[in-house]
Amino acid sequence: MAATELKKKAQKRKISEEETEVPSAFPLDVGLDMRSEDEADEQEADDDDDGQTDEFPVLDPGSDSEEDDEVGENAEESEATDEDEVESDDEDEEDESEISTDDDELHIFPKPKTIVSDITGQPKRVYPEIEPDYDSDSSTEDTPNRVGNIPMHWYDDLPHVGYDIDGKKVLRPARGDELDKFLETVEDPTSWTTAFDKKAQMNKPLTAEELDLIRRLQENEVPDADYDPYEPTIEWFTGKGKEEVMPLSAAPEPKRRWVPSKWEKQKVMKIVRAIRQGRIVPNKPKTTASQLQFYSVWNEEPSAHPAPLPAPKPRLPTNAESYNPPEEYLPTEEERKQWEETDKEDRERDFLPQKYKALRLVPAYDQFIQERFSRQLDLYLAPRVQRVKLQIDPSSLIPKLPSPSSLKPFPIYKALQVLHNGYRVRSTSVSPDGAWVVTGDESGAVRLWEVMVGKEVKRWKFPTKIGAVEWCPRTDVSFFVVGLEEHLHFLIPPNLSTAILAATQALLSPATLPPQPTTPSLVKWVSQTAAASSVDSPILTLNLPPSSGVTKQITWHRKGDYLSSVSGSESQGAVWIHQLSRRHSQAPFRKVKGSIQLVLFHPTKPHFFVATQRYVRLYNLAEQKLLKTLIPGIRWISSMDVHPSGDHLIVGGYDRKLCWFDLELSEKPYKILRYHTRALRSLHFHPTYPLFASCSDDGSVQIFHARVYNDLMTNPLIVPLKILRGHQVKDGLGVLQVKWCPRQPWLISAGADGEVAVWCSANTELPSRSEASNMM
Amino acid sequence: MGRIKQKGKAGAAKAYVTRSSAVKKLQCSLADFRRLCILKGIFPREPRSRKRANKGSSAPTSFYYVKDIAYLAHEPVLKKLREHKAFAKKLSRALGRGEWSSAQSLEENKPVYRLDHIIKERYPTFVDAVRDIDDALCMIFLFSSLPSNSRVSPSLIENCSRLASEWQLYVMHTHALRKTFLSIKGVYYQAEVMDQTVTWLVPYQFTQNIPTDVDVRVMLTFLELYQTLLGFVFFKLYTDAGLVYPPPRDVAKDETGAGVGAFRIQESTLPHRPIDVSRTKEVEVNGKRVSTKDVRQTIKSIRAPSVTDGDVEMSTADPALAEEDEEFVPHPSTSNQEEAASLPTLKSLVVLPQADSSKLFAHLTFWLSRETSRPIFEFIVRSFGGRIGWPMSSGSGSPFEETEESITHVIIDRPVTEGVSESEEEKQRRRRRKYVQPQWVVDCINAGKILLEDAYLQGKTLPPHLSPFGDYAGAYDPTAEFTNDIAALEESDLEVEADGEEMDDEVGAERYIPRPEQEALKAAAEADSEAALRAAELKAEAAGVDYGTFEKQAKKVKKKSKPEAQEEDVGEQEMNKMMMSNKQRKLYERMKFGERKKAAERQTLETKRRGLEKRRQRERT
Repeated sequence: MAATELKKKAQKRKISEEETEVPSAFPLDVGLDMRSEDEADEQEADDDDDGQTDEFPVLDPGSDSEEDDEVGENAEESEATDEDEVESDDEDEEDESEISTDDDELHIFPKPKTIVSDITGQPKRVYPEIEPDYDSDSSTEDTPNRVGNIPMHWYDDLPHVGYDIDGKKVLRPARGDELDKFLETVEDPTSWTTAFDKKAQMNKPLTAEELDLIRRLQENEVPDADYDPYEPTIEWFTGKGKEEVMPLSAAPEPKRRWVPSKWEKQKVMKIVRAIRQGRIVPNKPKTTASQLQFYSVWNEEPSAHPAPLPAPKPRLPTNAESYNPPEEYLPTEEERKQWEETDKEDRERDFLPQKYKALRLVPAYDQFIQERFSRQLDLYLAPRVQRVKLQIDPSSLIPKLPSPSSLKPFPIYKALQVLHNGYRVRSTSVSPDGAWVVTGDESGAVRLWEVMVGKEVKRWKFPTKIGAVEWCPRTDVSFFVVGLEEHLHFLIPPNLSTAILAATQALLSPATLPPQPTTPSLVKWVSQTAAASSVDSPILTLNLPPSSGVTKQITWHRKGDYLSSVSGSESQGAVWIHQLSRRHSQAPFRKVKGSIQLVLFHPTKPHFFVATQRYVRLYNLAEQKLLKTLIPGIRWISSMDVHPSGDHLIVGGYDRKLCWFDLELSEKPYKILRYHTRALRSLHFHPTYPLFASCSDDGSVQIFHARVYNDLMTNPLIVPLKILRGHQVKDGLGVLQVKWCPRQPWLISAGADGEVAVWCSANTELPSRSEASNMM
Repeated sequence: MGRIKQKGKAGAAKAYVTRSSAVKKLQCSLADFRRLCILKGIFPREPRSRKRANKGSSAPTSFYYVKDIAYLAHEPVLKKLREHKAFAKKLSRALGRGEWSSAQSLEENKPVYRLDHIIKERYPTFVDAVRDIDDALCMIFLFSSLPSNSRVSPSLIENCSRLASEWQLYVMHTHALRKTFLSIKGVYYQAEVMDQTVTWLVPYQFTQNIPTDVDVRVMLTFLELYQTLLGFVFFKLYTDAGLVYPPPRDVAKDETGAGVGAFRIQESTLPHRPIDVSRTKEVEVNGKRVSTKDVRQTIKSIRAPSVTDGDVEMSTADPALAEEDEEFVPHPSTSNQEEAASLPTLKSLVVLPQADSSKLFAHLTFWLSRETSRPIFEFIVRSFGGRIGWPMSSGSGSPFEETEESITHVIIDRPVTEGVSESEEEKQRRRRRKYVQPQWVVDCINAGKILLEDAYLQGKTLPPHLSPFGDYAGAYDPTAEFTNDIAALEESDLEVEADGEEMDDEVGAERYIPRPEQEALKAAAEADSEAALRAAELKAEAAGVDYGTFEKQAKKVKKKSKPEAQEEDVGEQEMNKMMMSNKQRKLYERMKFGERKKAAERQTLETKRRGLEKRRQRERT
């Protein structure tokens, strides 16, 4: 027994030797031709193949079942390794043992063997059996560092790298500096096949498998060297002799296949019972069932629900549909053509009237079925909406207003006109006594003329275009202000009585100048002495700060001491308030939101209206605060005027709207009117009559009666009175400014066509109807 | 602070549902949904804001009320439709497998839905139903004239023509027909049934085919509903009139094309009381009714042998009506005699004018020439109490022959033929009878009286046939101008010529008015006072101008001076329009647009007519 055992052992050793020798070739190979890895691989594979094919015929004779064979084999295998290890323990000291340990270290995973199964005849992989000995697993072997699988950078700051099995610190091995590292890489040819092991804190060479794995990953190959993606298919059930002919199951037939169903029987019995009781009548006659049986549906009480709305009935036919209509209904050629050209849906009538001499000649109407069908579509597809039909006279919608003839006087006709050589007349002003008119045009000419006959008295010429002219409202003095680019000129009309002239000169160029205000203003007041002054040149000039732009508007306070000017381009306006008595100007607003279009003094209170592009703000000048902001809803405000009572304001805009504000009510307009067809340019309330006028770029002037009541309950009455036409529209501009004569219901209108017209009412005494000739 | 409102939880988003989501909710096909909508009378609604109803989307969809859809979801017909779907699957499977017997039994037990409950829901009272039978009648009459094909089965056509005949029979029996209009589309009839005007359109007798652009399924669904509706309505009408419904049909007559004549009106012999409500209350009344019924029965039994066909029965309807009068003799109640006395009795209502025109042709006998349409004129004449006969070529069932002595009018629609040899007897007959064109009959009943036959005699150019239904108020009226047409024509001529300073011979009379008179006239018109006018009139008389010319002239001058005064007024109005609010102005403009359109329509017709008249005059001279 022992002998046999020994013999076996010997045999096995031989195998194991051979086995162990096969891998022993690797390190050499690897070391040698690292650059030709393919070859090494091939060799390796070859070696493997050789070893296996050589060996197995020796091992497996006599084994019949696969399992047995496997088991036996494994057992032998394990024995072999066992032997091997034993041997390495006791006898070998040099080469072989070294190789074997090397081998162990190299094989992190157990190496499979590929054998040919004797059942299938196919090659298969067999892994060596793992022996559950304490040191059978090389992975659990002998690293001194026992910290486990933790991030090793935790020990970066410490002198040690962990603890060994006894709890002693494992010190960090000494490491050379960078130069050493470099020398190492240069000297040691294998250094670049090593990797740094953090746990051991040293470089360890990579195994051949690991290198192979890396190479395969780099080259996008299958990482497992033993996997063959192109192995031949195994045909299990096809081919000769492999077909399955017998059924798979040999189970006996279930009972339910041949025992009658209980549930079916119950169902059948149910039907049988129903037939017996007469609930089901088999083969009942069909005819009576199909025939609809009518009865008195409406005999019982109708439900409380209201009946659904009946569908609207189609329109009844008119004379035009007759087969023999009166001849005037027949369409003319054009009507017929038009009817044929319009789309079917757009036609007013769905037929063309036709006339037949006799009833027998009337053909079939070819659209009959289509019409019926479209009616049905209307019935079930068209949404129905209930509309209230208004049975009112449309003229009753027009508001009843007093007749204009009962609201006379108001201007009706053009009495005279003064021509400005075709230059646009931007501004005009009437003297407070109502006898004189001053107009300024874009060529820089300012004309003074007389209202009654239109005779020009005096003309001034300025280098730039005139932005605004305005008479001082005081009656004890007489002068007017002309607004140019950066200058305001104060002019005295000729032919004044000496008393008034003296008073005016004393006011505008006083002998003793008032004391200079503490804060000097940007506006310079330059006046000529009374003696040196003449009618031809301005007696007083205000120099506005440079580049302030054209003066757009000048407006006086009613007492004639203050005047305000708005100058600047369209985008930004600069407001100045000038005081004559103190010869001082000040800018009331340091900063205003939006560009200022217009300003106005309140007629009775120390209030000040400022119109920006969108809003009108009302300031209290005495208290220096904002009272309210009016929102007219106009895109761009063009004009504004306040009622003489001071409680109502009208605002006009370039978007054709006119808004009437009751200042005591809301900041929204009381009434919005839109009647001009083009932009509204100017508005003016008559100072004494209940009238106001508006003018627009459509070349028309509209006169309104505007009565304001004293009690708060009655709304102001606005009655349109008259549309005055007569101005030409030139370059898209119509009438630019309207002004009332203070004491008569007469209107002065200045147009872009270079014409200033005076409009008079019928029953006031007329100014001479002669047209003032242009005195050039 | 109230609860935060979530979007889509209230308002339009909840009240409306789109069609596709409605179909999804009902779990039926779109075709079934359409069918249900037609049957139940559910139609889409227009929400105020489509965006709000459709979760912010403005895609074009149709909306339904959510409640309407919920109402559809409980519909028994929907259940039947689902059952039908299952049945169709079963049947097709059985047919596919070749299981003929099971297919047959499936076919026999096919689910059939009934529409009675829908009729009751849609028309809670009988009057509601009668009000809405216009479209139903149009469809029935249309389908009764269609040829059958694979989609429209012969039984359907037959049922439709039966219903059409029943309706005509009823209208003829009750003399309910009021107006008729021969249009290019067909014949419009208007009858008054249960105080509701019912208008229907019957196409001329030509074979029509259903065009391809018409969805037959929709029409058939409507027809399904209409057949049921008319069945119930006719049942109620017939039984209320004491007749048997359905009226028995003579198959042999129908085969020979007797049309309406194939049906026979039959008085119900059973003491049938359609309104049972009163029975429980007043027994004595009931007893009286039964006694009148007995009387009627005895009368009928006396007359029975003479009753041979429908026409003679028409006349028997008379005594029935007379009996009705007896029935409604008011029973003065013991408690409140005054009230009972003040109630309008049927007799007092019958005296109202409509009664006599319904028997317009009672004393006339018509013969239809073979080129005229028998169904139209048989129906019209019999509805107005006349007797009518027709040649065999127009179908059987004529009550008398052409040689009948009592024939007063022959309706003939062919031109006069010259040189046809007639026997003496025929000549005699021709002299006795009036040969009129068909339009005469229709114009007579629309006018409500027998018109003179002269304008309608055979071969004459017919006067225009006008619609008896009228037009909107203020529309162009061709008859109104027949009287003062010439005057208007002259006036317009005058205006034209006064402008051109040319005078024609016809209107030369005006020339003779001396200048001073004209001045005075103008002054009078301008002064606009009676006294001034009188003074001017006297002046003119003194100058020898007759009153007619004077008046004409005065009118003309007045007309001329009026515009000036009006112009100011118009200008004022135009200005006052400034003070209208935007909404009012838009409404005003819309109304004005409508007015202008109508006026323009009228204007074109009038100018056309004037042109025609002028041309006619020129041709005459």
